Amino acid sequence: MASLSEEVLLVVKKVRQRKQDGTLYLMAERIAWGPEGKDRFTVSHLYADIRCQKISPDGKAKVQLQLVLHSGESTTFHFANESTALKDREAAKELLQQLLPKFKKKANKELEEKNRMLQEDPVLFQLYKDLVVSQVISAEEFWANRLGGVTNTDPAQYKYKQEVGISGAFLADIRPQTDGCNGLRYNLTADIIESIFRTYPAVKQKYNENVPHNLTEKEFWTRFFQSHYFHRDRINTGTQDIFSECAKQDEKGLKSMVVQGVKNPLVDLLSLEDKTLDEGYGVCGAQPSTSNSNRTVKESSNYAIIKRFNHHSAMVLAAGSRKGETPTDQASETSSTDGNSRDSDFFQPPVKKVKLQEEYEDLQQENRPKTVPLNLKKSDRYAHGPVPLQSQQYTTSQDIINSVNYIQHEMANYKPNLTQVLSSTVATSAISALSPGGVLMQAGAQQAINQMVPSEVQGELKHLYVAAGELLRHFWSCFPVNTPFLEEKVIKMKSNLERFQLTKLRPFQEKIQRQYLSTNLTGHLEEMLQTAYNKFHIWQTRRMMRKT
Amino acid sequence: MCADDEVSLLVIVVDVNPIWWGQQAQREPEFTLSKCLDAVMVVGNSHMAMARTNKLAVIASHCQDSHFLFPSKSWRGADNGGDDASSSGDGKYELLSVANNLIAEEIRNVMSKSEYKGNSTETLLAGSLAKALCSGQEMKSRILVIKAAEDCARQYMNFMNVIFAAQKQNILIDACVLDSDSGLLQQACDITGGLYLKIPQKVALGQYLLWVFLPDLEQRSQLVLPPPAHVDYRAACFCHRNLIEIGYVCSVCLSIFCNFSPICTTCETAFKIQLPQMVKPKKKKLKQPT
Repeated sequence: MASLSEEVLLVVKKVRQRKQDGTLYLMAERIAWGPEGKDRFTVSHLYADIRCQKISPDGKAKVQLQLVLHSGESTTFHFANESTALKDREAAKELLQQLLPKFKKKANKELEEKNRMLQEDPVLFQLYKDLVVSQVISAEEFWANRLGGVTNTDPAQYKYKQEVGISGAFLADIRPQTDGCNGLRYNLTADIIESIFRTYPAVKQKYNENVPHNLTEKEFWTRFFQSHYFHRDRINTGTQDIFSECAKQDEKGLKSMVVQGVKNPLVDLLSLEDKTLDEGYGVCGAQPSTSNSNRTVKESSNYAIIKRFNHHSAMVLAAGSRKGETPTDQASETSSTDGNSRDSDFFQPPVKKVKLQEEYEDLQQENRPKTVPLNLKKSDRYAHGPVPLQSQQYTTSQDIINSVNYIQHEMANYKPNLTQVLSSTVATSAISALSPGGVLMQAGAQQAINQMVPSEVQGELKHLYVAAGELLRHFWSCFPVNTPFLEEKVIKMKSNLERFQLTKLRPFQEKIQRQYLSTNLTGHLEEMLQTAYNKFHIWQTRRMMRKT
Repeated sequence: MCADDEVSLLVIVVDVNPIWWGQQAQREPEFTLSKCLDAVMVVGNSHMAMARTNKLAVIASHCQDSHFLFPSKSWRGADNGGDDASSSGDGKYELLSVANNLIAEEIRNVMSKSEYKGNSTETLLAGSLAKALCSGQEMKSRILVIKAAEDCARQYMNFMNVIFAAQKQNILIDACVLDSDSGLLQQACDITGGLYLKIPQKVALGQYLLWVFLPDLEQRSQLVLPPPAHVDYRAACFCHRNLIEIGYVCSVCLSIFCNFSPICTTCETAFKIQLPQMVKPKKKKLKQPT
């Protein structure tokens, strides 16, 4: 049953579902249907669960709306009100069209993000498998700290999303295709429609007024393209055109833009007039007035085209900066057409007062932060290596002289005697010292632990360490335990650790024992777990003492 | 043996500190500098005999300077007449006999010429290593250091620079230590990927050199060789020169101390450490009995 707090957005009576009469309710977060006469809903779907909606084609007798869920199920609603069936269905469809995208993105985005993270980081994936799949901790705990980026900054992300701009040629891109016999087909996509609405808010307003009450979409667009509003020479503002108002508004808008003036006061466009020398040189004659009567036909059509180009460009640029606040902008546009509005006043003072920027920041000298010079008093300390001061053997100068003399005497008659370098006994003793088990090879036996343990065991041990590390991190981050939430978490984490030890560590230990590996690979892990248990025990006893 | 055309250079740096060797000759007459040089020659010959493209260089590291024993300036290569070269008369590969003769000649010159000045008793190993690095630029090379005397603490900075330069150029530094362990050479071997060995019997130097240090890097992976030693990388504090595991580092000049002091003695920066705040005990208001 719907909770009282749910906001009902739309109620449609006489909607049949599975051959039963009933009422369709569209709420803030879900769509529901209840049979007639009964209080409860038999069908209820969250918008987040709905993948898409489908409608029956226009020609069919039955007016239906189908909802397809993510799980593959579909529910069909038959609008059975004779007079307003189509209208009802369209209303429901529109509302759903607006609501579904909001919910769809949220649900999918989280899953997508999780999947992406798991795929990108194999260590994370392994951790997930070890901890969540084997049910040591629950999935929510696992994702609690990692998904902070996605869920918390969701609105912020939308803010930073770049808006798609409008192509200046969007109208020109709708190339009409000849229909065979004197007709033209215009292919309108949703993107083009959106561009038209964003650039020409007047058209959007007309659309909202007329569709679906007076005209269908198809009729609206047909009239749009037929109207002189759209065509090149807009001299004759048509009479029965619904778009004639648009044209008038456009002219007003253009005038207001001209009146507003150029925003950059340094570019003095007014000085860029055509200066006439004489008749025949440059532009001569009076400046073209804006009244229609003075112009020749050709001039006025050129004028019209240029005006339309300028207006189109200005509207495209304005649409890019407008960002969706259409109603207020339109109001401001029309309000500023009363001659010297406050906007134009606003721009006059800066024109007079502006000065050229005389100092450019990046051409000036760098202002580095003030630093303190390093002042080393005893720099010879660095030169001394990590050789502890030992009392050097003191050699007297007499000793030195003696030794030098001796060696010089010896080497004066040096002749290499390469056949007497080694005697066999000496050589064999050296070889035995170098053979495995010899004097020099002792250290090797202790260091070969990574050669004695097979690599799968090593890999498993690494996974155990990663998983244990993750659990211990959660455990130790709970201390100091200040809030009841942390208390619960600490207790939960302790049971998680015990479960981990039971389900993962013990089997691993048994396995390596069976393989006769005498090395103690898991001693350190056990130590870490025991420290955690001790800490928990101490905390628990303290808590008991505080309570009593 | 790999049949590469790649030139492989072995540079042997021999510590010929006369004071140490002079004392050694008096301690143990069966192992003197002559014997050591014989063993070095054996290894050098073996290396050159392993492949035609192998090259050898020998540097003698003395108290005051370091000399190239081979190849020396007086070597003209194949242009030499041949009288000295083939004087060995035992049908030896000419290159080997030439090399041996040159080495012998040079070492005689080095040991006799050096007039002993001053009282430095330490070997200039860093300089020899630097020379070795320069000579091994264009080809795949490695350095074998045969060390006799103790480490010189004054050469520390130069030594470390040489080690890192070798690491960048992928030049291995191996060390065969005769007398006392050398922390600097241990670090050098660890950083560049070479082997460090302190031999228990000096007399068997030749055997150790052939067994452990003759094979090059690719061949070593197939052999069972002495495992790498544990290197002590602890830093020494600037105040006492004790090796410490946990210490205090000045954030301005990066000097290391074993105890906290509010002013760094090297750069005279003053430090403030926030003490944990004292929590004032709250006085509980007594409930008034009604």
